[in-house]
Amino acid sequence: MRSILTRADAVAPALVVAAVALLAAPLGCDKGLPSPITGQHEGDPTPRQGGTLRLASFADLRGGLDPAVDLDGLSLGAIHLMFAGLVDYDEHARIVPDLAEHWDVDDGGRTYRFFLRTGVTMHDGSELAADDVKRSVERALHPSTPDSNATYFTNLAGYEAYAAGKAGHLEGVTVEGRYVIAFHLTKPDATFPYLVALHTLRPTCKSAGDRYSDTWLPCGAGPFKLLDGGWQRGTRLRLVRHEGYFRPGLPHLDAVEWTFNMKALAQRVRFENGELDIARELTQADTSRFAADPRWAELGVVEFDARIYGESMNTRMAPFDNVEIRRAVAAAIDRDHYVLLQPTRMSALYQALPRTIADVDPSFPAQRYDYAAALEHMRKAGYPYDPTTDTGGWPQPIDYLMYDQGIPALSSQLLQQDLAKIGLRLRLKMVSWAAFLALQERPDGAAMSQGNWMMDYPDPSTIFDKLFTTDAIAPDGSSNTAFYSNPRFDDLIAQAHLEMDPSVRRTLYREANAILCDEAPWAFTFGYHLFDVRQPYVHGFVAHPVWPLDVSGVWVDRGDAGWKDALGGGLR
Amino acid sequence: MLDTRARARFTRNRSGVAGTVIVAALVVFALVGPLIASHGPLESDFLHGVASDDMPVGPSALFPFGADRIFRDVFARLAVAGRLSLLIAVSATLIASTIGAVVGIVAGYYEGKRFARIIDVDGILMRCVDVMLAFPFLLLVMAIGAALERTSAVTIFVILGVTGWLSIARVLRAKTMQVRSLEYVVASRALGQPAAWVMLKHVLPNVAGPLVVSATVLVAQMIVADSVLSYLGVGISPPTPTWGRMLFEGQDYLVTSPWLVVAPGLAILLAVWGFNMLGEGLRDALDPHEG
Repeated sequence: MRSILTRADAVAPALVVAAVALLAAPLGCDKGLPSPITGQHEGDPTPRQGGTLRLASFADLRGGLDPAVDLDGLSLGAIHLMFAGLVDYDEHARIVPDLAEHWDVDDGGRTYRFFLRTGVTMHDGSELAADDVKRSVERALHPSTPDSNATYFTNLAGYEAYAAGKAGHLEGVTVEGRYVIAFHLTKPDATFPYLVALHTLRPTCKSAGDRYSDTWLPCGAGPFKLLDGGWQRGTRLRLVRHEGYFRPGLPHLDAVEWTFNMKALAQRVRFENGELDIARELTQADTSRFAADPRWAELGVVEFDARIYGESMNTRMAPFDNVEIRRAVAAAIDRDHYVLLQPTRMSALYQALPRTIADVDPSFPAQRYDYAAALEHMRKAGYPYDPTTDTGGWPQPIDYLMYDQGIPALSSQLLQQDLAKIGLRLRLKMVSWAAFLALQERPDGAAMSQGNWMMDYPDPSTIFDKLFTTDAIAPDGSSNTAFYSNPRFDDLIAQAHLEMDPSVRRTLYREANAILCDEAPWAFTFGYHLFDVRQPYVHGFVAHPVWPLDVSGVWVDRGDAGWKDALGGGLR
Repeated sequence: MLDTRARARFTRNRSGVAGTVIVAALVVFALVGPLIASHGPLESDFLHGVASDDMPVGPSALFPFGADRIFRDVFARLAVAGRLSLLIAVSATLIASTIGAVVGIVAGYYEGKRFARIIDVDGILMRCVDVMLAFPFLLLVMAIGAALERTSAVTIFVILGVTGWLSIARVLRAKTMQVRSLEYVVASRALGQPAAWVMLKHVLPNVAGPLVVSATVLVAQMIVADSVLSYLGVGISPPTPTWGRMLFEGQDYLVTSPWLVVAPGLAILLAVWGFNMLGEGLRDALDPHEG
């Protein structure tokens, strides 16, 4: 017995202390936020050269540092600094020249010809030429490259033969001079410049070879470069200034450094102590504190909504094979309640497109919370529900597939409450993230689940093509998780790709968007953005509408005085 | 179970009395709490539960323990979670005690004997216990929980029960080995009573004290195990409240909304403390020499 029991007399005081500590610790923790650490030359707008920008993340670079493969947001931020593209997105999400000085469109939209800048030095000291672009494109789209974004480029002439291994080179990419590269498409595509701006086709150094290899030291033509030993997987990444960067005077920083696998709480403490320069992954509670503190509020940076969330309803499974049920769901969700989960990061979403590229016309027939309409849709579906007696509705419980991380763990419970009010009783089925993806992307895997999508480029096609077209349906790994198919919708999207007139394209997308809002394969719920906080000595840090992180124009003015203040009067 | 002298020893034991009071208070809270709460445990209140800064409101008359992240009443959820935690812990303990008692008494009774000169019942049972003890308890329970497609209160207490009996088996084996050599047990065997009858009639009543004490302490361990499972996401699925789950959901709000962590944390602490002290008191009352 003695081996099992401990003396209560000895345990009791310890437990009392623990209880008191439990009560007192959090109360004692909330001492308010420290003051921001001011710069050495406050008020002087002249950019200063040098210094290291220190960042952190709770995650690791899962996607690696090769632009050819599909990347997570964290990797994408680093890739953007290391690899310049032929074109890029500006701060208004417009396509602008980058490594290419200009381009022209020929053959009725079937040929895009890019004219490279001369004298662009890559990280290995070589000069960028059209050959490098062709080699990089073929390397990225080769069938041996794992998890590539190749599906975006199936319209390139000769892609099928190349992807099948029947051709040694990609016929649709031709070198027309040392500094001229042309892309030939099988049919016109107005979205092609957006695709060229993606990370996938960004030129790599000759050391990358013509086939993907994970032993390669990443090397491109971006403002920062990776030196040997600069990346310790799971621990840190340090990128240093590329002295030969083609834009004069840039970058200002000597280096950008990430520490990985750092908890949000540790990030906040280190940021407050001046050991991190920008805090990007604060908890919602901490974000609220910074946003509410007038000393810090103006140092907050609200990023763009790049990710959309919605409740995906499998249109091949009951009860969501009934469009009236789906309409009822779309009308029953009170999106303002969702937003309260993380008010500084979420914005209510009433249509398929995030705020960055949304149709802002107030007459647009978006999905809105309308309880009476939701009940009416239930009646039309043949399953009337009486809220006063809690009778009627769909007779069986509906499995809602979810994983136990972040927002879905809570939003699913709000959804459950909202749908119970119209007679749809959800049963939450919690699975691992891997199981969630596997089930959600199968035709019979899940009746309902939370869908989310980060736009790859700032055009509606990045959402419509991947999430809602018939072509996006697959027996396994389907990105169209609602398994929604509408010939009219498919036709509109195909027409929009062919249409070179932006105003006509907008009209086509508007109709497509309206179809989605009405037929509701998803009940759109919220858009998501980060809320960053910077120290005052960090300048030039602005949110980018596409890239998860853009610090190419950032400069720091960190002085010893600021450090001493931060550390309580002296360096420790 | 407790004779007059044992009862007197128990009432003189401050730990035992304090443990009884704490456990009784928790049981009353779990039973009565949901009845007097102003909200249902699954019901969000966006009118009164949201503070001006869009955060959950703190403790107030309407929300005695504050509101949670989706603006539900922490008091109501804590009480309902208490029901569930106590139900799971007690049920799991009953299962574990039954299995542990059977294995322990049989092993102790046949210790040193071999059937047909080959089969060593005690050896087989105790090696099984050793093998199971080699698995970290929580890891084993988590693996089983994760393998199940859907977890309910029943699956949780069955999992905990069938994996949590090992210590009880060891304790009762040792106690049975003492009891089996007592004169009246030897006499009963000499009279030709079947072994099962001897174990049930003479051994079990004599090892009941240690069994009750072990079981009481095991309840505390089961409460912790249930909370850990919920905290790690392999317990009962939301929105059903559990103390571990509430702790998990509140941890990011430790600074701004400390009640989200303090309330379930304190509930777990008190429950474990209470059952441990109750077990201590029972041990001192039932077996003063050991104490």
